[in-house]
Amino acid sequence: MNNRSDRWLAYFMILPVVAAVLAFVIGPTWDVGKLSLTQVVMGMERGFGTLDNFRALAADPLFALVVKNTAIWIIGGTILCVLVGLAVGAYLAIDSWQTTILRALILLPWVIPDVVTAMAWKWMLHGQVGIIGSTIQAAGLTDEQVSFLGDPSLVMWTLVVVLIWRKMPLVALILCAAIRSVPSEQIEAARMDGANAFERFRFVVIPNIAFSLTAVTVISMIWITAEFALPWIMTGGGPANASQIMSTYIYQQSFEFFNWGVASAMSVVNLVMLMLIIALYLYVNRRSWASGADK
Amino acid sequence: MPNVFNRREFLSATTALGAAAMIPAGPAQAASGELSVWKFGGTTAEVETWAARNDGFTAANPDVGLNYSYFNGQIRRQKLLAGFQTNRLADVVIAFGQDIPEFAGFGMIQPLDDIAGDRMAGWKERLVPEVMASGMHDGKLYGLPTYVDMASFLAINTDAMAEAGFDRPPETWSEVREYAKAMTKPDRPGIAFPATTAPVDINIFEGIAYANGGRVFDESTGKVTLNGPGMTDALQLYVDLIADGSTPPPTSLTETFFRDTAQLFAQGRSAMWIGLSWLNTPWGTPEGLNWTGVPFPRPDTVTGKFPPVSAIMDPTAILMVSSRAKNPEAAVEYIDFWSQNDQLKIWGGNPEIARIPAGKVAWGEAGLAEAWPNWVSSYEAGTLFQGAEPMPRFIGVSAVENALGTALQEAVLGQKTAQQALDDATAAAQAQIDLLRG
Repeated sequence: MNNRSDRWLAYFMILPVVAAVLAFVIGPTWDVGKLSLTQVVMGMERGFGTLDNFRALAADPLFALVVKNTAIWIIGGTILCVLVGLAVGAYLAIDSWQTTILRALILLPWVIPDVVTAMAWKWMLHGQVGIIGSTIQAAGLTDEQVSFLGDPSLVMWTLVVVLIWRKMPLVALILCAAIRSVPSEQIEAARMDGANAFERFRFVVIPNIAFSLTAVTVISMIWITAEFALPWIMTGGGPANASQIMSTYIYQQSFEFFNWGVASAMSVVNLVMLMLIIALYLYVNRRSWASGADK
Repeated sequence: MPNVFNRREFLSATTALGAAAMIPAGPAQAASGELSVWKFGGTTAEVETWAARNDGFTAANPDVGLNYSYFNGQIRRQKLLAGFQTNRLADVVIAFGQDIPEFAGFGMIQPLDDIAGDRMAGWKERLVPEVMASGMHDGKLYGLPTYVDMASFLAINTDAMAEAGFDRPPETWSEVREYAKAMTKPDRPGIAFPATTAPVDINIFEGIAYANGGRVFDESTGKVTLNGPGMTDALQLYVDLIADGSTPPPTSLTETFFRDTAQLFAQGRSAMWIGLSWLNTPWGTPEGLNWTGVPFPRPDTVTGKFPPVSAIMDPTAILMVSSRAKNPEAAVEYIDFWSQNDQLKIWGGNPEIARIPAGKVAWGEAGLAEAWPNWVSSYEAGTLFQGAEPMPRFIGVSAVENALGTALQEAVLGQKTAQQALDDATAAAQAQIDLLRG
């Protein structure tokens, strides 16, 4: 075998993936970019090379609220998802019969379809018949039954909680696997040096799982950005746009209002924002990212 | 273990396999008899019967290969748009009348006058003229309706009404407030209305507002008219009902759409609810629940600038032919099949009792007379459709209705007054309309 031949084989093996990425990622992204710079009137494209769609977006009084809600959704959702996932993953990494069972059970929220999840939570959180609100009321914590999805001040964070319930299990399992792969000699050495449990976690475990942690954070951020069914089915962006986020607003502009140009402009803004956040995150974590990649 | 393949053989074999996979398996046999049909929405009874009756069509037209698909009504715009953009739109589309101006404007559907002129006489003979007119746009027939839904109606728990000392349903807005207050108990609000941004919830409100001389849009000027007095006072009625303490908490109203509101009424969790003409019939009510449905009471004084309507209506299973239909002859044949009396009878109370039928024949059916005696007597007296108008339909209707839905929620939640909410909605909707219409 020679190096040249190996290289050609490698190119050949990745060819299907490259073709798929070109066809299903680069192509549509290019189209969206083009459409965002095209004036669309009555469903027809009327001239390329305009910033009208971006101007319309800037003039839309709702857009600022959408950006704020999206920030809560993506940043709040990702941070909480990874933090809770890390805590649960650390617990699951402990060897016991309970954690063995839990490692299988925890995937249940992940395997339930989005629509079923959304409908079940919608009724559990309902302001008249929801079991969660009635339980809280019965416990004397509230005077009236709380309507989690009907109250504009609660709805966004309620959605984030449901999102975490749905997405966290896989994050926890990935981090559990990473924690279990930390060399026991290092933990033992730290213990012998007098490090307590928190210190062993902070200074031994975390540096060892830094690559997984970074990867899972980026992946979670992308998952959460792309999540549409959960917020749309649970609230439809309401009440009074209090839970309107980028994905739901893009959908609304495209498929309800037929404003494809504005929807494309919003998709471009969304993509740029996501790329900036991820680039910033990777830059801040460049050491762990690079060291993990080296491994 | 020796290698079975060497590298060269592996590369050659996989390349050949990949190339073979890329070769089309021959042109799709787009036989002249192929006909694709997409149906959106409908009650369970209707959806099951529709699919079953399609067998009758294929039996009568053995040369036509029917490819029928059913989809949820909520995704129709997305599905149709995607189909149109990718040149995969079905030959026949069964969707909502409110969609017609946009679909026609975008060139997605074609007038039936152009392809089915010879069938018109038969259709006019078999269909109720007012319902058939709901398929018209710009003087041309774009769709053949099988029924219409009307807004707005009031479902009343008659036991609760009697208990509150009333012997007839309310007839005016002030009576609605009086009844709702009197019928309210600590564990059961007197009245509920859906206030999400679901299109049906908005149609329900529009029915009330249009009866008060309100309109959402003035086609003659191209201006959004959400903040006119007819609309504002109708929204104020919602706000007043909440202020009276006659409704569930406003936060719950904004998360409960029409179907859930109907189910809560059926469970005895409200004494009245405001809905479309079908009220609880698609889902039924438990044994022992005594209820009736009446047109929503009229305003004490009409305050809007436009003529007040008796109701607004929309055909929510209207058969349209795609402008890119590959087989327009078969499409027309399919539509004609659904215009026959045997099919139109479906909406005569057996099996479907939830709709206002398009077929004249359905109005003579015993099932309909039993389920809706008042409808039948009004129809026979020629007053059922008197003063009724189509539900809002124009290019940009979704954007305007969505803005109205947001205003409705803002007012219900007390974030803004009815007037402020509708002023803001008017500005937002006008911007969307201008953008869409260029």
